[in-house]
Amino acid sequence: MASPAIATQPALQVEGLRSGYFGRTVVFDVSLSIAPGKVTALLGHNGAGKTTTLKAIAGLLPTFAGTVTLHGEPITARKANDRVRRGLVYLPQERAVFGTMTVRDNLLLGATLVTDAAQRERRYEQCLDLFPILRERLGQLAGTLSGGQQRMLAISIALMAGARVLLLDEPSLGLAPSISQTLLQTMKQLTEREGMAILLVEQAVAQALEVADHVYVMRSGQIVAEETRTAALAREHWWELF
Amino acid sequence: MNLHQFFQLFVNGTINGSRYALLGVSFALIISVTGRFHLAYVLSYTLAAYAASSTADAWGFPFPLAALAGIIVAIAVGVAIEVVVYRPIARKAGGSALLTIFVAALGLTIAAENAIRLTWGSASENLSGLPRNGLSIGDVTFTALDVISLIVFWVLIVGLTLFLQRTRQGRLITAVRVNPEMARVVGIDPDRIYLLVFAIGSALGGVAAILFTVKYAAVPDMGLDAVFKGFLVAFLAGTASSPTRIAGAAVLLGLVESLSGLWLKAQWSPLVVFSVLFIYLTLLPLDFWRPRRLVSAFAR
Amino acid sequence: MEYQIDIVNQILIFAMFALSLNLLLGYAGQGSIAHAAFGAVGGYAAGYLSAKSGLGFAPSVLIAVVTSLIAGTLASLPALRLGEEYLILLTFAFSTIVISIVIAWSKLGGAYGLLGIQQMNLFGHDLPDPSDKFPLLLVLFLIVFAFCWRLGESPFGRLLKAIREDELATRSLGKNVYAYKVIVFGVTSAIAGLAGALFVYYNQLASPQEFSVNVSISIIAMVVFGGSANLFGSVLGAALIVVSGPVLEKWVSLGEEKAALWRLLLYGAALVVLMVLRPQGIIPERSSLRGWLSPLFRRRAPTPALVPELSAAMAGAGAPAPTATSAAPENAPAFVGAAQLGAVTSGLRQDVAQDRLVQQREIGVATLPSTATVREPVLVVRGLRKSFGGITAVDGVDLDLPAGEVTGLIGPNGAGKSTLFGLFTGFLRPDAGTVLLRGTDVRGKSPDAVAGLGMVRSFQDVRMFQGLTVLENVMLAEPRQPGENLGGLFLRPASVSSSERRVREHALEYLAFVGLVEKADWLTAGLAYAEQKLAAIARVLATGAEVLLLDEPTSGVDPRWVDSVAAVIRGLPALGKTVCIVEHNLAFLEKIGAPCYFMEAGKITAKATVGELMTDERLRKAYFGV
Repeated sequence: MASPAIATQPALQVEGLRSGYFGRTVVFDVSLSIAPGKVTALLGHNGAGKTTTLKAIAGLLPTFAGTVTLHGEPITARKANDRVRRGLVYLPQERAVFGTMTVRDNLLLGATLVTDAAQRERRYEQCLDLFPILRERLGQLAGTLSGGQQRMLAISIALMAGARVLLLDEPSLGLAPSISQTLLQTMKQLTEREGMAILLVEQAVAQALEVADHVYVMRSGQIVAEETRTAALAREHWWELF
Repeated sequence: MNLHQFFQLFVNGTINGSRYALLGVSFALIISVTGRFHLAYVLSYTLAAYAASSTADAWGFPFPLAALAGIIVAIAVGVAIEVVVYRPIARKAGGSALLTIFVAALGLTIAAENAIRLTWGSASENLSGLPRNGLSIGDVTFTALDVISLIVFWVLIVGLTLFLQRTRQGRLITAVRVNPEMARVVGIDPDRIYLLVFAIGSALGGVAAILFTVKYAAVPDMGLDAVFKGFLVAFLAGTASSPTRIAGAAVLLGLVESLSGLWLKAQWSPLVVFSVLFIYLTLLPLDFWRPRRLVSAFAR
Repeated sequence: MEYQIDIVNQILIFAMFALSLNLLLGYAGQGSIAHAAFGAVGGYAAGYLSAKSGLGFAPSVLIAVVTSLIAGTLASLPALRLGEEYLILLTFAFSTIVISIVIAWSKLGGAYGLLGIQQMNLFGHDLPDPSDKFPLLLVLFLIVFAFCWRLGESPFGRLLKAIREDELATRSLGKNVYAYKVIVFGVTSAIAGLAGALFVYYNQLASPQEFSVNVSISIIAMVVFGGSANLFGSVLGAALIVVSGPVLEKWVSLGEEKAALWRLLLYGAALVVLMVLRPQGIIPERSSLRGWLSPLFRRRAPTPALVPELSAAMAGAGAPAPTATSAAPENAPAFVGAAQLGAVTSGLRQDVAQDRLVQQREIGVATLPSTATVREPVLVVRGLRKSFGGITAVDGVDLDLPAGEVTGLIGPNGAGKSTLFGLFTGFLRPDAGTVLLRGTDVRGKSPDAVAGLGMVRSFQDVRMFQGLTVLENVMLAEPRQPGENLGGLFLRPASVSSSERRVREHALEYLAFVGLVEKADWLTAGLAYAEQKLAAIARVLATGAEVLLLDEPTSGVDPRWVDSVAAVIRGLPALGKTVCIVEHNLAFLEKIGAPCYFMEAGKITAKATVGELMTDERLRKAYFGV
């Protein structure tokens, strides 16, 4: 799907991003580059500004300074739903499903901005193929699913929305390691197969390093390190970065 | 206390309760989706009644057309309040807009009531066009209008329930209520949904107002009691409850209010309503009330 | 002349309504639309006693005040435990019911009102004309104003503002928020009852429409126009709204009836416009509104945006922290009255303050409670358990906090650390287990009770009272201030003012200890986030509690500030404090060198230093994932 011309440019480019809440800057001059077909991890301790960064990129928080470019197109001035329409989707770390609605409704809500019924139908089937367990639970309320299933549903919602660049906030939170590992592996394969790009925020560093091609480390609102996966794994005490 | 009186009061209570139900459902829809404490609902309600009666009066609109005019005015007023007043306030105040919006809504309420008095005078305005002939089952009497109103109220309540569950727009509204953040994540524009919700809520209120006007009359301060009942019912049932549950609470309130007439004079019925609220609020923080709320909070 | 005096008299009566509502709405942040209804309770009580029982003016007014005090207190009891929308609902209902009752009850005159009320009467003399009544009303108004001023501009009022800003944080500092809300609601109802009684006597008529919801709204308008949390503003607001009637009537020469309608229409509209254009200036943030109408009454320095050199000088002056101005330039700091602080602060450098606080403790004269010298555990937790729905968040935790030490609590996200703090301090109720604080089981006690016993928490998201100054934030935390209860305020004024001086000194010392004394008079909203975190430490220190639970003191903090926070925390044991920190910044914990409990999935699984914990393969995996 990705033409060679697109493949050479970053899927997502962030330059000098500043953002925060109600005038309080939490994220200072963050620059990131995310390659298509790759998983990029954004690591850092709690409160380092990772979630704020993701939300600002998704347009859910105001950008005080800096630019966001998606597949070569500047989108800094775009509203959140315009960014979704262009395939930039953020998934929050908790409550990422519509709890009192059925699994089917959740999936259809993911495709809110998709006007082409055939495309919606195709993605729907793709998601259910990807996570067959959801097919058995279509009529069930999302809030009654297990944590792992809710995560699968959340990711499916993002896929239904047509995510080309997925901003994943702590997908392992609250999940048993084996489940989150499987989930991340699935995401990894999906990325490589579909040319999707993932920016992954994780506290579970080891898990993140297993799937990430590239790593950024944040501390106190700034990027303090950037390295490849191999370099990061080679560190003796990478936890010191936190 | 005799059986005839009981049945008569029961019927009266059901009719009133059904009107409260429609008001409660609309009010709860607005507050649960938008979080706006929309006391200025009074405006939509009152102006719908006046628009219907004066278009019928001055321009000779037939009833259906006059009612339509009333409903359109109700929608326009509700949407305008959201766009011109609430939204700018919420933008500026961030998370803590409740009291500010509340005060602004009070300002709107009082301004509107007096604008109406200046325009139409303080006397009542009538509206006719629906059959009002008396009917009876045994000794219990009511009017054809009551039957029509009852049907309209319940058709609208059930219709709203189905709309929220079955249609695309309805699902978008539910999505914003259930999880506003995820709604934005999937690209729903909350501003647009808010407008839709204000439009629907105001339209339903307008219908209630018009039927009320046909039964009694339109007066400048008619809105306050209506909003109070809607408000009360919405909170007694829980604003995030399903329309049917809110409607159930409303009918119950209507019945309690009416049946208290078996022991008390009718003018004391507000005391009964207040007692219900007072007892409810007293019980609310107690632990035995809690488990279900906790569970439902988690189910969200 | 009598005509003008009549208007002035009405202003005085409505000002009493507005002043009291301001305490409730402006200071304490509680919305009520029943203020006129409480006036009706008093008014009808007085009117009934006068017309039907022939009771004299003074006793019937007194009974009216007591009646509305009781009515207000009782009516507010259930709603004040709940969210603010419930109070609005309840007051709405109360308003409706009061009007219905007076209309329904034929003894109260029904819809036309209660007639036959006697003249106002003073020492046996009737007061028939407005000019006769004026001195009496003026005196009563001044008494009400002084009363409200005493309540509002005192430790009591400071506490009310804290409740308005953040109820939860106020409770965490050991204040019984619910009791204060009930007191202020009762007191304001009583004043409304007084005003209502005077109004009824003044007109010799009690009629339902004089106390309708619309009148309540007009009283709200007086408060809001004049400025919430500003008592002079309320008088001004009352004057504006009362005068607008005659002005429209005479000058614009509308008929009496039309003028009344236009008046209501205009101020309703004005209320809306004001809310849209100046929202933060009115209800939530009193500061800008206070500046708006009362530059005469409150000294206020220009905002530093206009005088950058001043703020830079302020921040630079002896601040031990990293260059303060660079911390967050986008936070335009607004500060109030900077100059008067200079003298006080010159002696309060951070190192000096540290020494002094330590000395005070050693010679035992200090405010700080003396603590045992033996390093026995101050806090002993056994078998603590808590589940939400089906999820077990805390699953049998045992934990000791040794006296005078800093202990860390680390673990992956969602391990239950913050829940643990909530359980210790009474914000959450444990399902099982014991929390022994110096041998007293605090399980099931309210947050304010736990704070009173000597354990307080800070919050991850600081929860400083943004609309108060830094100094006020810290002063507020001091326990058992005589100025925080009505008895103290009115019966022991001397002890209140001496306590206030002492509390202020202590607060400044605590601020000096964390290096923020130069910014004591800044509005908290103007501080950099890191400074707010430091101020929050000063605030928990000021509670005098022995055990301090600090929730992520460095999260969201600019790296340049982390060292300052570490220095402050390392200094706490010297003050006799026992500290527990939840933290994710491991480098920070290493710097402090505290032994840490390791928590995962609701259980404590290890205790060691950060370095040791992180060399353990299994724990590292648990922390960073497999």
